[in-house]
Amino acid sequence: MGVIAARRSPPRVGGWWRYALAFAYIVFVLLPFLYMGLIALQSDAAAGAGDILPQRPHWDNFMRIWQDVNLDLYLRNSLVVATITGVLSSILALGAGYVIARFRFRFRNVFRISLLATYTVPGILLLLPLFVLYIIIQHAIAIRIVGTYWGLIMTYMTFALPFSIWMLSVYIRSLPVELEEQAMVDGATRSAVLRHVTLPLSVPGMVVTFVFSFLLAWNDILFASVLTSPQTRTLGPGMQYYVSDSFAIPFWNLLMAASLVVAVPAVILFLLVQRYIVTGLAAGSIKG
Amino acid sequence: MRVPYWLMAPSLVLLAVIVFLPMLFAFYISFTGLNENTIGDWVHAPFVGLKHYVDGLSPKGPLAYSFYTSIKASVVFSVATTLLILPLGVGAALLLNSRLRGRGFFRAVVLLPYILPAFVNGILWRLVFMNGSGVADQLLAATHLGSRETFWLIGPRSLWALILADVWASWPFIYLMALAALQTIPGDIYDAATIDGASAIRAFRHMTLPLIAPTMGLAIALSTINHFNNFALPYVMFGPTPPDEVNVLPLNIYVNSFITFNFGLGAAMSVVALVIMLTPAVLYLRAARVGDTD
Repeated sequence: MGVIAARRSPPRVGGWWRYALAFAYIVFVLLPFLYMGLIALQSDAAAGAGDILPQRPHWDNFMRIWQDVNLDLYLRNSLVVATITGVLSSILALGAGYVIARFRFRFRNVFRISLLATYTVPGILLLLPLFVLYIIIQHAIAIRIVGTYWGLIMTYMTFALPFSIWMLSVYIRSLPVELEEQAMVDGATRSAVLRHVTLPLSVPGMVVTFVFSFLLAWNDILFASVLTSPQTRTLGPGMQYYVSDSFAIPFWNLLMAASLVVAVPAVILFLLVQRYIVTGLAAGSIKG
Repeated sequence: MRVPYWLMAPSLVLLAVIVFLPMLFAFYISFTGLNENTIGDWVHAPFVGLKHYVDGLSPKGPLAYSFYTSIKASVVFSVATTLLILPLGVGAALLLNSRLRGRGFFRAVVLLPYILPAFVNGILWRLVFMNGSGVADQLLAATHLGSRETFWLIGPRSLWALILADVWASWPFIYLMALAALQTIPGDIYDAATIDGASAIRAFRHMTLPLIAPTMGLAIALSTINHFNNFALPYVMFGPTPPDEVNVLPLNIYVNSFITFNFGLGAAMSVVALVIMLTPAVLYLRAARVGDTD
């Protein structure tokens, strides 16, 4: 085309009012965060009364949350569960994503459509039969599933795996096939090509699937509220427990401080994979 | 070339075990009286046929009030939220796709509500709308628009509290989709239009809109599905005993399945939820155009 400057610069319309509008959006977005931040620095009594501006900032709230809200335990559980979910789904999905990207076979499109279709299924429609199955298995053979990390991780796979397969198949399709063909011509076996050519090239794609699967587990409350015990409780059900189920009246300043802490890893990871967000959104990831 | 099916085997087996079979099992459960007491001997759980569906869906059924209240709440919530975030998101995308100083900063900041975990969002808005001490009631009192005793978390206003909380959290989804669509439009078509003297509004209606319409169709379908299936936000904002207006299907199913342990009924309601979402689901899958490109 040769028109470099023109590509991302549609017409200039208006002037100052565009900045006013952008500013309005920013205020709309940031005001609730400001409210969170102010309440997080509030004293217990003032937060309970609903005072917005703190007399003086109570930074120690950010120390108290680890014990008082039990964030220490919940954060650790969430980290373990989300990390294993991310790693497992990325590794498992690689093979299937590769085959879909590089080969034509019967039912290929049926398979691809069902991967996307998974996202239209309400989470609870899968959680309910899985929970019943776990209980049945627990009754039949003495293995505990409900309340363990593995039960929860396996349940997250229901959504993490289809998404990761889809994402990796799109990613691998964008890689040049010539490198693999060259290696085959040179006499490498299929598994050697996979290990030494495709795998290293797929790492960025796997980082993306890791982040999305990690966030799926990190942000969840539905599966975790049914499948965790007091020892394995993750952030979602843990904070919900502090809000409504515990016997003490919750301190809202601590809740807001904990909320900000919980949001930080999500923000960092999300911004890390920003470039791939739209592909992920189109496949229905994240919020479901 | 031989297809290395063995590479797919682990994923396929796992998906069969944790997605495909459980879904079939859920259909089966919906025809049984499986509950807390019968789960120990589930094979002999009474087969009740269409009882749960008839109880819930026939207008005079004993559960019709609960079913229809939830279906209505879910449909109103998902449609209203989608309609409200559509102009917000497209507007921001148009704005941030044009030349603007500090555009990178704006683009990062507007994503923040969307990144916030849904349960954190729920806690935040639960506090905002808390009776008396929440900032919503304080604002109403300060501006004399209402009293400090305005209830948001109980009664009919709860629907607006839920919609507002979700609008704030989910509009960047529409923005992201619209921005992605706008970025595929080459700038030169506007140059041509400007030379021809087309106004900005006409250029938007006749050039931009048709070009982003397919992506927006996908975004609307996905947004409707996501809001319809949203459990976290209403659950955290209102707890397991919500007001009727926000007793959305996922919440109602959750209470029936995991608090009163009536698995048969919960499964039947989940199947109903799935059927209601079939239309947007088909629209979504068609808009995603699987198999079009390769």
